[in-house]
Amino acid sequence: MTDQPGGFNALLAAWTAGPMLSIGLTLGAFIVAQWLFARLRRPLWLPPVMIAALLLAAVVAASGLGFERYEAGARWLTVLLGPATVALGIPLYQQMHHIRALWRPIMVTLPLAASLAAFYALAIAWLMGAAPMVLASLAPKSVTAPIAMGITEELGGSVSLTLGGLLITGVLASLFVDWCARWLRITDDRIIGFALGLNGHAIGTARAFEISHTAGAFASLGMGLTGVFTALFLPLAFWMI
Amino acid sequence: MVVLRGFLVLVVFFLLGEAVRVLVGLPISGGVLGMVMATFTLMLRGRVTDELAAASQGLISVLVLLITPGVVGVFFIADQFAGHWTAVVVALVVGTLLSVFTTLLLMKKLTTEQARGDQHD
Repeated sequence: MTDQPGGFNALLAAWTAGPMLSIGLTLGAFIVAQWLFARLRRPLWLPPVMIAALLLAAVVAASGLGFERYEAGARWLTVLLGPATVALGIPLYQQMHHIRALWRPIMVTLPLAASLAAFYALAIAWLMGAAPMVLASLAPKSVTAPIAMGITEELGGSVSLTLGGLLITGVLASLFVDWCARWLRITDDRIIGFALGLNGHAIGTARAFEISHTAGAFASLGMGLTGVFTALFLPLAFWMI
Repeated sequence: MVVLRGFLVLVVFFLLGEAVRVLVGLPISGGVLGMVMATFTLMLRGRVTDELAAASQGLISVLVLLITPGVVGVFFIADQFAGHWTAVVVALVVGTLLSVFTTLLLMKKLTTEQARGDQHD
């Protein structure tokens, strides 16, 4: 069956000999997801990354390709997360004047809020009896993906669970910032943007850019600072425990 | 060519970050260390070249593409976490609501305080 000329399995074997099938599928899903997201009028609860992942999961499962073979090929894309993380340092530098203008509130809020973002979720999961591996995967839930993946690997968690948690957190943060800001009567785009980036990483930042340019800039700032802070202190905190 | 030169800078900073991680033995990923070093280098130089800005913008704009394969994995590890899902979902929903609320409240308090302080100065 496997070596039958012209058979589906032979074709699948040839296509998965290199990474091109995985790369093609991922690129295709990414482009279709962007298009669908625009067609659906940019729903807060369904960001493009969720659409793309759902499409890919369906294709990978239905075609018999299997996640392992897909992932082996897709690694050619994910290695770029390394330099992509470095790239986040450039907007961080470009927004340095924003930090200077509001440095006192930012410097007090950041360590507290970034620690609490991890602590609240960890405490709740721990009280509900989650395993250490689950805790390690949830710890970087508010951190932007490339940084979070690095943290989870350091802590010995599951990268896939982290990314799932990240996705849910990003979507929830966008909704909750909307509600809480209204309830607390906050209209300052700088505060709303900062909260979106700090809690909702890239998904929250994308949402902030829809509100205003200032909100977007502060979201990038919140996302970058939370990423650096959490990456520096979370592994050290885990080390000590 | 221009974007490639910027990309080379990013790759070099990533490799430097990895070098620090391994040599110093820090539990922080090489990408994060590279990012911190890149930011500090730019602060010292006081400007960012067009090629570096172009390369970083390009990579950041496809960030979603790069994280998608990892997210796909979520759908294939579901059984691995059977029994943990309630804890995970409750922790994420309640934890995120609490931390969003804390962030907004802190920032509101502190910025009003700062505005009041500035008036006194």
